[in-house]
Amino acid sequence: MIMVRLERASKFYRTKHGDVKALDEVNLQFNEGEFAVVRGPSGSGKTTLLLSIGGMLRPTKGQVFINNSDIYTMSERERVAFRAENVGFVFQLFHLVPYLNVIDNVLLPAGVGGSRYSQEEAKDLLNRLDLTERIYHKPAELSAGEKQRTAVARALLKRPRIILADEPTGNLDPENAEEIIRHLAEYHSKGGTVIVVTHGKAADRYASRVVHLKKGHIDSA
Amino acid sequence: MRTFGLILKEMLERKLNFLLSLLAIVIAAALFVAFFTTGEASKNETIRLMRDIGFNLRIIPEKTNMEKFWQRGYSEETMPESHVYELASYEGISYAHLTAILQKKVIWQGREVFLTGIAPELATPGRKKPPMIFSIERGNVYIGFEIAQGLDLKKGDTIDIFGKTFTVFHSLSESGSEDDIRIYAHLHDVQSVLNMENRINEIKALQCLCIAHDTNTNSLSLLRYQLARILPDAKVILIQNIASARESQRIMAERYFGFIIIFVVVVCMAWIGILAMLNVRERRQEIGIMRALGYSSTKIAVLFLGKAVFIGLIGAILGFGLGTALALKFGPVIFKVTASMITPQIKLLYWGVIASPAVCSLSVFIPAMTAVAQDPAVTLREE
Repeated sequence: MIMVRLERASKFYRTKHGDVKALDEVNLQFNEGEFAVVRGPSGSGKTTLLLSIGGMLRPTKGQVFINNSDIYTMSERERVAFRAENVGFVFQLFHLVPYLNVIDNVLLPAGVGGSRYSQEEAKDLLNRLDLTERIYHKPAELSAGEKQRTAVARALLKRPRIILADEPTGNLDPENAEEIIRHLAEYHSKGGTVIVVTHGKAADRYASRVVHLKKGHIDSA
Repeated sequence: MRTFGLILKEMLERKLNFLLSLLAIVIAAALFVAFFTTGEASKNETIRLMRDIGFNLRIIPEKTNMEKFWQRGYSEETMPESHVYELASYEGISYAHLTAILQKKVIWQGREVFLTGIAPELATPGRKKPPMIFSIERGNVYIGFEIAQGLDLKKGDTIDIFGKTFTVFHSLSESGSEDDIRIYAHLHDVQSVLNMENRINEIKALQCLCIAHDTNTNSLSLLRYQLARILPDAKVILIQNIASARESQRIMAERYFGFIIIFVVVVCMAWIGILAMLNVRERRQEIGIMRALGYSSTKIAVLFLGKAVFIGLIGAILGFGLGTALALKFGPVIFKVTASMITPQIKLLYWGVIASPAVCSLSVFIPAMTAVAQDPAVTLREE
């Protein structure tokens, strides 16, 4: 079953030196339960692709479907609710909220999801990610690997249908990188869909498909 | 995590931003409270003074031509003498000195003189004030300085005024006013001489005031209202006194400080707005990830506006405390006369906890909207 479908999706950025094409007429699809890696050099449009799929960046042209729903025909409110319900993000720079400790960062989706996400669930998740001892630490007191595991836990708490990871291992040493990918693979093994944008090859052995992106075009899929 | 929890933790993390914002609102609130606390004391003191001193009033016939009144110094119209007794017997008005007068400019002994009849002073029962206006026995006259000099009149001399004989009881010393060409006699004698029985053309009420328990009532308006009820065919002229001069001064000071307060509030609003804008810039990525997690625009705006409301509330309470302390400490030094009247004005706290969060929210509105308008896709790509 097709989970994500991009139809002639283009994204242009207007700069002082003219328009930059980040995505150019991209046609692509990802199936439900797929673990896909999107690879390409810097500026190839990987992050733009990921944010467009996540309902965070409206394409200049074309359409993005998730579960056959064109997410950019939804109202802002509907899209926000859709994202809160279905999509989990993991970023290279972790993007943890600096004034919240680990468990509060993990429970941040509860701010929109309400009481569906309990402290116990969060603690269980943190236990599985080997963060039990760091539960009341703030991001500034964590190692890079711990920060990224916290970000993964935050994405997993919602039990989203799809996880979009943007260079999740970009700031990690090989050991931590491997661990993060392993956690994503574990989620995938339980039926989740994972799309990882990366330079590295740590995710390749778990990936069911590798998509190559070059200058906003699909080079190979 | 609940919204308030997020707000609280953010404030505790970025203490400097929080404290500077709080400082701005505390300063504005404290100035406001300090000024109004001392101002209120000044106002109450003025009311008290007016109660003690009262108003000096001239009550004249309603139909009086005021142009001629000011030219001549008296009304050409008359009203019944009974008015003064009606006024004296009315329980809603208190006075220290009350007297009925009939006066007219006449030609006597070939010269223009003011013939002024004065009734014995009436005083509020139980109030032992010495007469402010001298009391004249019937058949006696007091002679103004110029008349006495011109006609060589001395105490004990007898004079004839329009067919009636009077004894000079007193020759007045020079006053440098129209009183120097005035002859004072008993009201009833003057009424008789002028063939104006039971008529008067002025009631002079000194230190006159209404017996009202509400200190906030405008006592002069109330007095005029009461007088209009008792004496519908009379009108009231206020003789300015110290209390009314002080009232004018207070109003002027209130306007002056009102301008300063507005200036301070505007500066503090700008201060809070700038700090909020810096806060928004600092939290760009945090806002971005929240948007990615599904936080709506409203929820993001609430994070900033909620913080503003919280700072406003705390600022109002601290500002009230500080402002009251300043008023109690320095108010008596600045406003010596009203020192004892300076007391905490709890109503300012009630107003503060409403107005201060509103002012803070208004200051933070633009930064909050900026936060909402940020494109999360842009901030999340930033390194």
